Amino acid sequence: MSSSEAHAIDPHEEHAHNPHLAHHFDTIEKQDHAIRLGMWLFLGTEVLLFAGLFLGYTVYRHFYHHTWHEASRTLDLGLGALNTVVLITSSFTVAMAYYFIKKGKAGPCAAMLVVTIMFALVFLVVKSIEYRHKFQEGALPGQFYHFREVPGPGANLFYTVYFLATGLHAFHVIVGMSILIWVLVRVLKGHFSPSYYIPVELGGLYWHLVDLVWIFLFPLLYLI
Amino acid sequence: MENKAATKSATPSHGDEHAHGHGPGRYFVIWFILLGFTALTVWTGHMDLGAANLPIAITIATIKATLVVLFFMHLSEAHGSNRLVFVVSIIFVVVMMLGVFGDLLTRNPMSLPSGAPSFDVSPESHMAPHE
Repeated sequence: MSSSEAHAIDPHEEHAHNPHLAHHFDTIEKQDHAIRLGMWLFLGTEVLLFAGLFLGYTVYRHFYHHTWHEASRTLDLGLGALNTVVLITSSFTVAMAYYFIKKGKAGPCAAMLVVTIMFALVFLVVKSIEYRHKFQEGALPGQFYHFREVPGPGANLFYTVYFLATGLHAFHVIVGMSILIWVLVRVLKGHFSPSYYIPVELGGLYWHLVDLVWIFLFPLLYLI
Repeated sequence: MENKAATKSATPSHGDEHAHGHGPGRYFVIWFILLGFTALTVWTGHMDLGAANLPIAITIATIKATLVVLFFMHLSEAHGSNRLVFVVSIIFVVVMMLGVFGDLLTRNPMSLPSGAPSFDVSPESHMAPHE
């Protein structure tokens, strides 16, 4: 595979000029390939991290099927659906940011990143409204649970999984937002061009993963 | 200049035109489809379909996730090694899930946590086969 790449592209020309090429890589293609592979490996570990929580969800949902059904009805479906739309749209805008920087259009790319970051903020605000509501109701994890509407064993476990899963996800939203802010600053400083835009691409990939996790969390927590 | 830059960073396994022929149009289409599926999953979630609710929700979520991975994350045009890494991580998730399902579905009811009401079999009937 790598030999066919070497045939397809003449490596000598950019070799001398490209300041982004680290000395331990022969060509920028190999470096980009290694960077992307590393990112996908990381995303693979992220998938497995969340899979553990989904597994815990599956086990306790199986044990406390009816209670969990009742408990999931107490979540605000409207706000959950709103946040789903917000994240899907932010995934779209970050894909557009990637498209623009690849075309060398730093201005529209920065605008798309700003929109994405705003969507991330909206998501967190909506989430915190939901959290505050749950705190007030006493729908809290473990021993702090004192929510009268859904009594019975297993109900507090639903909120334990709810807070763990959405909390870990919200942490990823904060991290993703920070990464996108850093990428935005570099875009504004003019660091990227059609020949070098890897940070925009990887920041975007991370953001898509955040969206991906929510795509599964939303139906499992709010709809089932 | 733009052409050359595109050549450098393109995924070399595909034709260059192919990898870069799509633009905002494709992203728009995927975005609309994702919004449509979100509406669909909220709608089916509202219906009381009993046991069918979970498989429907999971199927819709999987379709949405596949669209995001293939087109927003460009795995459809990525290197084979990147695809392999991601697919392997999904396979391990499935293996982990299947192993646990095997446990859950074959449990002796006496080994369930107390007050798990999903198994509304009377106490006598779960004792019987194991005594």
